[in-house]
Parts: sequence; structure tokens; C-alpha cells
Amino acid sequence: MQDRSLARLLQTPAVVLLLIWMLVPLGMTLFFSFIRYVLTSLRRPEWTTPSLDNWRGLGNYQFVWNNDGFWLAIYNSVLMVGSILVLTVVLGLAIAVLINRAFPGRGIVRVLLISPFFVMPAVNAVLWINMILDPVLGLQGLAVAGMNEMIDGLRTFPLLGGFFSLWPDLEPISFRATQTSAYAVIMMVTWQWTPFAVLIFMTSLQSEDQQQKEAAILDGANAWSRFRNLTLPHLGRPIAIVIMIQAIFHLSLYAEIEIVSRGNGNKNLPYLIGEFASNNIGAASATGIYAVILANIIAIFLLRMVGKTLMD
Amino acid sequence: MASLTLRDVAKAYGSTRVIESIDLDITDGEFVVFVGPSGCGKSTLLRMIAGLEEISGGDVSIGDTVVNEVAPAKRGVAMVFQTYALYPHMTVYNNMAFGLKQAKMPKDQIDKRVREAADILDIGPLLDRTPRALSGGQRQRVAIGRAIVREPEVFLFDEPLSNLDAALRVQTRLEIARLHERLGSTMIYVTHDQVEAMTLADKIVVLRGGDIEQVGSPMELYERPQNTFVAQFIGSPKMNFFNHSDLAQTAPPELRQVDEDTIIGIRSEHLSLCSAGEETLSATYELVEQLGEHALVHCTTSGGTEFIAKLDVPPQSGRDVPLYLRVSPDQVHLFNRETGLRK
Ligand SMILES: Nc1ncnc2c1ncn2[C@@H]1O[C@H](COP(=O)(O)OP(=O)(O)OP(=O)(O)O)[C@@H](O)[C@H]1O
Ligand SMILES: [Mg+2]
Repeated sequence: MQDRSLARLLQTPAVVLLLIWMLVPLGMTLFFSFIRYVLTSLRRPEWTTPSLDNWRGLGNYQFVWNNDGFWLAIYNSVLMVGSILVLTVVLGLAIAVLINRAFPGRGIVRVLLISPFFVMPAVNAVLWINMILDPVLGLQGLAVAGMNEMIDGLRTFPLLGGFFSLWPDLEPISFRATQTSAYAVIMMVTWQWTPFAVLIFMTSLQSEDQQQKEAAILDGANAWSRFRNLTLPHLGRPIAIVIMIQAIFHLSLYAEIEIVSRGNGNKNLPYLIGEFASNNIGAASATGIYAVILANIIAIFLLRMVGKTLMD
Repeated sequence: MASLTLRDVAKAYGSTRVIESIDLDITDGEFVVFVGPSGCGKSTLLRMIAGLEEISGGDVSIGDTVVNEVAPAKRGVAMVFQTYALYPHMTVYNNMAFGLKQAKMPKDQIDKRVREAADILDIGPLLDRTPRALSGGQRQRVAIGRAIVREPEVFLFDEPLSNLDAALRVQTRLEIARLHERLGSTMIYVTHDQVEAMTLADKIVVLRGGDIEQVGSPMELYERPQNTFVAQFIGSPKMNFFNHSDLAQTAPPELRQVDEDTIIGIRSEHLSLCSAGEETLSATYELVEQLGEHALVHCTTSGGTEFIAKLDVPPQSGRDVPLYLRVSPDQVHLFNRETGLRK
């Protein structure tokens, strides 16, 4: 007993510190979300100081709920996080399995594969949107222009020319546009985070039991069946880790969205919070609480899904 | 059921030759044990038969067909691995059913086979557990069960008992012997434990450095080892080797005749105490290992050769008093010192 209470006592500072660290911001956000609190207001100067007198109840939540941008932001958050998760896990698995076998230059290939992860998000976004996705100067623009030129050449061909004249000219896609900016963000974040998935899956693949695979070969299992029945269950936990960590990170995407389109057509919850926070702290806090709720829903949903499909 | 033939089989990893050139005939239903020291190529040979290792030269035939190019699953072999290699995310039932499912066998037939095998091995109550929730011995049985359900023509075992404790090892050894009796299939069993080899085998294949040293029944190997390596590898404690100069004046004339170029091999269990004047050897002893039913007495001859005698009653005299030991001449093995071959 003595020992245990001493241990508790010694732990207390750390625990208290952690609690303060977590609870104070959450408490303040909750408090702000229930009051009227703006940074500047000429008409109602009393709202510029946070105080219980400005109590608004669920008013901020209602205001955000009815805001046009809110549902689009939730939709965008889910779309981006979901797509990035699926893409990074699938690509990560494929690449990890491919480079797990021995081949000359494996060390260098591995280092190169990991390197996108060390690029800063903002730099990543600038590189992608200007050098790769730009419809005129980027790789995309050059590729589309090149193909158009080739088709143009084919049209002058004696016999088959008529057939190629039926082909339309290809149009480069503008990834800063309202309809496409989310896809640009998905692409660049996938490129950056696939190495993370590869890294985690690769370490796990190396601990896979080779004799189990040989037993499966003797049992007549083909490569796909071995992957499905042995490798995938073996990777269940790393996949869950990759999904959880990425879900946490990508719910708060900001830099890429800002750089690609300044939120045009592609606001997510953090971006919306940012916009509100330029003046309306109450609404921003309410959105923050919504984001916490969304994160929890997604986390529970993911945990269930990952647990069900992979652990049985 | 099938016989198995190895013709001139060789294996090389790059330029390192691991298996030289092996010829071996295994008849239908035989229990063959590969023994040999670590690294001699036992596992490699077994894995070549299974199809897990490419064959660098020669032919492996099962029945009448050369299987060099046949896929492992199509060879009609099943293997029990040293680490069991059970599928960790499947239940015991699914572990056993996996191979049959891959072969697209109907569900009811799979069920019948799995339950039969579970009956034979006494693992019926464990079918719904995962391997993690089994003891070592139970895992071992499941691994054997996974081999049985496929009704293979040849069973391959790679040191299946080495992860079990001593008591369980003896018990499982008996069960494997019983299983062989019951199924009558051809079995090939790899071990470096010569007791397992002696007790289980119809035929023992002694390997060293990728070559066969001798093939024969356990008693043939014990009674007529073809060379010094087999002589010392089979039998425990290992066979004692003496020189001409170790023999006493009173040794039987057949033994006195042998020349300096001959190694005289005598198993410790064939040495017995005798009175002065009848002895083949005289020696002093340093140490007695009392095993209850008999004692292992560590001795040195006057010529300085160390050896072990297995005696029913340990010597009562002091350490510096000479021990007189005799052996009957037909239990002596003579080997050429140069070649190591039996004379
Ligand atoms: N992939 C490989 N490349 C090169 N040499 C190898 C390879 N695999 C095995 N060897 C060599 O082949 C020889 C035989 O190995 P093997 O595993 O068959 O021995 P073993 O008789 O089963 O030994 P143990 O009793 O220790 O299991 C060893 O000397 C080993 O070093
Ligand atoms: Mg081995």
C-alpha cells in the first residue's frame, strides 16, 4: 500500500501537467463556443471580451450548422481523408511487397522511396501545383500539349488520318479550379504519405515467418492467396496504425489547401475554423468542437472496420 | 503411397556445393531418417524433395514420375516444419482445412477429413482455437494434422521434435511411430538426434558434408558401421577408438595382430570389468557418472587414450588402482586409419 501511494504521488506532477495540457485548451474552446466572442466589433464592443454575460447557448452551433460552407467542409474533410487513406494503404502495400524481395540497388531504392516524407507540406504543395499539375507549365501541361501535337500529326496521315480527325483535342485540367482542387490535394498528400505507409509495412514484412509461406506453398496456395491469407492478416496491426495516424494528421490538412486554391471549392473543417477565427471566435470554437466530434466518429468507424476485416 | 528415388541429386548455392551427388532409393511405406551433424545438408535435401528448393542437378522421382519441375503442391508431399509454421490468424480447423480449400474440395468432404485427422491426433476440442492459444505439444499435433488431411504419398518431417521438452519428445516420437504404423505412408524424417533415428527408422541415411556416409537399418549401422564417422555418430556414448599400443599383453591374439595403421573401435557398453590376466585393456579412471541402471566411467589407458566404459557396477577401487577391462573380439570394429573405412 505504502509503495503504491508513493508511486501515485510521484506520478502526480506528470499526470496533472498532461491534464492541464489537454483540458485547458479544450475547456476554453468549449467556453468560447457557448458565448458571443468576436475580435472586433464597432457595433457591439462588449462582445470583444470573453465573458459569461455574452452567453449564447447553442447559438454558435446553430450558426455554423446553417452556414453554407459547413457541410461542404465536412464532405471535403471526409472525402480527402478517406481517399488519402485508401490510396496510401493500397500503394504502400504494393510498394512494400515489391521492394521486400532482394534486388540489386535495394538500399538506394528504399532511401529514395522514403524521401518524399521529409519534404515540408507547404513545399510539397508548391512543387506539385506549379511543376507537376500546372495546366501550361507543369508536367501535366507539357504532356497534354505533347499528345495533342502527336494526334495532330496523325491527322495528316494518308489513310488513317480520317479516323484520328474524329479524336478531340485533349484539354489540360486546371487543378486550382473549384471542382478539382480537392483532387490536387489528395494527390500531393498521397505522394507525401505513401512512404510512411511503405516504411511501416516494410518493417512488418521483414518479421513475417518464411516457413509459414512455405507451408502455404505446399498447401497449394498461389501468390495472391498467400498474400490474402498470410501477409494481409500479418499486416493487420500496421495497417491499423497507418490508418489511425494518418486520419489524425489529415483531418487537420491546411497548408496544401491554402496553397492550391486558397480554399476555393475545397474548404475542410480546419480551413473553415481559420476563416471564422479571423473575427468570430465563438463560431470558430463551435466548428472546432464539431471537428472533435467528427474525428471521434471517424476514429470509431475506422477502428471497427479495421478490426473486423483484418483480425478474423 | 509411393516410392521415392534420388538419382545423382546435387545442390549448389552459387559456387558453394551443399549437396554433392546423392543416390537413394526409398521404397513404398518406408520410414527413412536422415541424420547428420548440423549443416550437413539434411534440411536442404528434404526441401529439395518437397520442392521448396530448386534442384541443381540430378532427378528426384516420386512413384514413377520425375518431379524436378512439378509444383510443390502437386508432388503429393506434405511437410511438418521445425517451427510448425502454423497460420497464426486461422483457427486450428482452418489451419488443417487450408490446403483442401486451395484444392477446391467440397465443404462436407473437408469437414470429414479434418475431423478424422483431429480424432487420430486427439485434438478435437482444440479445433476452434488459434495456434496462439495452444501448448507446444498441441501445436506439434496440429502441424502433423495439417499434413495428414492432405493424404500425401510422402510425409516429410524436419526436426519436428526439437522444440519440445524431453518428456514430450519421447511421447510424440511414439505417436509418430504409431501414425506411421496406421497410415503406412512413406515418411522421411530429419533429425540430428541419433536416438530418434534409431527408434523410428526402418532405414537410416547418415549424411556428412553433403554426402551419404552410409545407408542401412538401425541395427546394421550399429553393428557394422562402414567408417569411423558413422561408428562415432551412431550409438551413445560414442564409440571409443584405441591404438595398437593401448592393448594389454593379455588381449586376444586376433587383436594383438592388428598393426599401427588400424583404429580399434569398441563401444562403451561392450567393455566389462574382469580380473587381472584376462584383460584387453588396463586403465585408470577419473570420473564416474552414475546413471542408476549403469554408470559411465571415464578412463585413460596407460598410452594416454581417453575412453568411456559403460559398467553395471562402478569400480569400487581407488582412482590410481588399475581397472582391468575386457571385450569379446567379435564386438570390436577395425578401421583403416588413413581412409577411415571399415576393415
Ligand atoms: N541460401 C543459402 N546459401 C548458401 N548456403 C546455404 C544456404 N542455405 C543453406 N546453406 C548451407 O547449406 C548447408 C546445409 O544446410 P542445411 O540447412 O541443409 O543443414 P542441416 O543439415 O539441416 O543442418 P541443421 O541440423 O543445423 O538444421 C549449410 O552449410 C548451410 O550453410
Ligand atoms: Mg535443418
